[in-house]
Amino acid sequence: MARFRVVTDSTSGVPPAWRERFGITVVPLTVRFGEESFQDGVDLSDEEFFARLARTDSLPTTSAPSPGAFADAYRRLSAECDGAISIHISSTLSATPEAARLGAESVEGFPVHVVDSRSLTMCVGFLCRVAAEAPSLEEALRRVEERVPRLRVLALLDTLRYVEMGGRVSRAQAMIGTVLNLKPILALADGEIKGVDRVRTRAGAISRLVELLRRDWPLEYLGVMHAQAAADAERIRSLLAPELPDLEIEIGQTGAVLGTHVGPGSVGLTYVRAPEPGPRSETRP
Amino acid sequence: MLLTLQSAVEDIKESPAAEVNKIARIAAHGSLMGARGNSGVILSQIFRGFGNAVQGKAELTPTDLADALAEAANAAYRAVIKPTEGTILTVAREAGRAAVAAASEPTATAVSVIKAAAAGARTAVDRTPSQLKILHEAGVVDAGGYGLQIMLDGMLRTIENSEVEVLDTPRTVPAAQAALELPEEGWGYCTEFLILGESVDVEKLREDIAALGNSVLVVGDPNLVKVHVHTDDPSKVINLASTYGRLDRLNVGDMSTQHRRIREESGGGAETAYPQRNNGIGLVAVVAGSGLADIMRSLGADAIVEGGQTMNPSTQDMLAAVQRVPYEDVILLPNNRNVVLAATQVNGLTSKRVPVLETVSVPQGVAALVSFHPDRDLDGNLAAMREAAERVQTIEVTHAVRDSRSNGLRVKKGDVIALINDKLQHAGKDYGTVVKQALDGIGADSYELVTIYRGLQATDSEVENLTKSIRVSFPDLEVELQPGGQEHYPFILSVE
Repeated sequence: MARFRVVTDSTSGVPPAWRERFGITVVPLTVRFGEESFQDGVDLSDEEFFARLARTDSLPTTSAPSPGAFADAYRRLSAECDGAISIHISSTLSATPEAARLGAESVEGFPVHVVDSRSLTMCVGFLCRVAAEAPSLEEALRRVEERVPRLRVLALLDTLRYVEMGGRVSRAQAMIGTVLNLKPILALADGEIKGVDRVRTRAGAISRLVELLRRDWPLEYLGVMHAQAAADAERIRSLLAPELPDLEIEIGQTGAVLGTHVGPGSVGLTYVRAPEPGPRSETRP
Repeated sequence: MLLTLQSAVEDIKESPAAEVNKIARIAAHGSLMGARGNSGVILSQIFRGFGNAVQGKAELTPTDLADALAEAANAAYRAVIKPTEGTILTVAREAGRAAVAAASEPTATAVSVIKAAAAGARTAVDRTPSQLKILHEAGVVDAGGYGLQIMLDGMLRTIENSEVEVLDTPRTVPAAQAALELPEEGWGYCTEFLILGESVDVEKLREDIAALGNSVLVVGDPNLVKVHVHTDDPSKVINLASTYGRLDRLNVGDMSTQHRRIREESGGGAETAYPQRNNGIGLVAVVAGSGLADIMRSLGADAIVEGGQTMNPSTQDMLAAVQRVPYEDVILLPNNRNVVLAATQVNGLTSKRVPVLETVSVPQGVAALVSFHPDRDLDGNLAAMREAAERVQTIEVTHAVRDSRSNGLRVKKGDVIALINDKLQHAGKDYGTVVKQALDGIGADSYELVTIYRGLQATDSEVENLTKSIRVSFPDLEVELQPGGQEHYPFILSVE
């Protein structure tokens, strides 16, 4: 039986406990504040990152790992197993899957399946877990690819400022005008970001998030991600937990790279829908 | 230009620096990062030139100051490929010249230098219509130049310790408001972005961009370049620029659309260039006050019918707006109780379907528009909008026009009164007290956000006092201030 390993990048929201338990390799992206470069999650913790973000007068920039960084990671693994599955943030949002692909091509004699999740953050983390729990590389690939179309992210941003500067979402896409201070709710499915709603208050936004999530029930996995908004994440979990007794709801932090693009105060629901969604009437009110 | 300046000011506020050279450098960087529009980018170069001129100087003599103002203008000229006289450039140069002349006087002080610069700017602004035909024809002065003059006037007032006050409107309207004739080839697209790169050849980039459009501004240093160009083909510019580095804050605006909108707004009815909606639903809102109209438009209102308290629009006015909107279903928001009846008549007078969402106040109208969704069908939207409108609490603050006694309340003519959801509930002598009573009355503690729409009658200090008193009494409430521009109500408050 061939042994294989799971590789991902630092935007994947894989909880630290899972890294150890499932032996997941995480290749870091780079965050740059002016002249200084940091490896996401390696020499820059989330706390340090947001402390810096608050102090800095220009926004940090982020960049994908180099193909070489992936090649190194794969080469190291080739000494201890027979193959790898490398699961990443959507190629519509980052050059990371492309770098992984190039890195994989440069390592000979070691099969690496690169998966473009068309999603991000803990959705990628869930795929990593699914892969790690599979009995073989082929089965891991099958289980992961089958779930890619069922991944969803719903995010509440405290401001559109960061995502707009990052150039990935425009005000028009988010349905945010320029006058009132509106909080956008964005959805990510199949690699595409769409504005789904706009709200005036945070409390209103959070109940809206939960409402939107209920439309996608039943769920296979659910995680609540946040950027410096732990209290809200906990609140969402406690709202949802009684309604989802069979689900273990993970809470995680966005990390520096995503934090750069969504900004502090963001909360997101990341989830995998169940294979065959029940008819409408079965969804709860 | 305002946004450019704000960006510089915000950065300066965040810095503890007290030395001229440091502050000037922050201003240069902040304005470059926030630069928008032609005048905004030129302004950032004025700051850059000033910053370079004061390098290493923690304090300035009057001569240093004058030289820096002159160098600021020079830097701005250098940044523009084809400098045009009669614009902010001319105004900056004349301000610099006047400053240098003043500094050569034996009794020169910082105040005398800035005073001379402001006076020089003023003279130059007045002359701009004789230098630019397009300004002359429209009967306006150059808006960017006038903006720079206001900044110098502001500096003067600050340094003289006199109170900064809202300046009189200029002798003629600034150009941005003017409805100019559309050139036959159109205006093209205003394309702006930053290039984050390493060792960008700014000169070469400028030449490359200049070949693709006009009003070209390419400024910055090898690591950070700001590009502004009016072009017919933004994608060419973007492709070219991305070979130099990573693009940031890309913004492409269709100037023909902007231009058309300005014309239409000045002509009365206002249509916006919102993208065609999938659900085929248009939105028409009745509202008075330029700020409120802007807010409604930015939330998606396709047409605004001017009207509200004591100036109710006719059914005909609303019908005309509904007909102008390119949708067969049009949701009409009256935003005032007295308008609702006339609004409901519209439906019978057109082949379009015109449901009236019975919003009876501005806050209700705003809340309803916020919850409109272009992917939802008519019934779904009406339900969501109605629910949102019902959730918001409205407090309208005005003055009693006569002595009266109602609702167990004795009111004297001139008293401040507060209407909660259209009912007179509180009266008193000042805004702060009455608003606090009203907020207590609706249990504002259990809400999250108060939006204050400022009316025409409210003065700056009244606005400041009211905002402060709400923050003190309700520390957990978020307070957002918006210019409403409405008459009759110095303040309208939305609590949600």
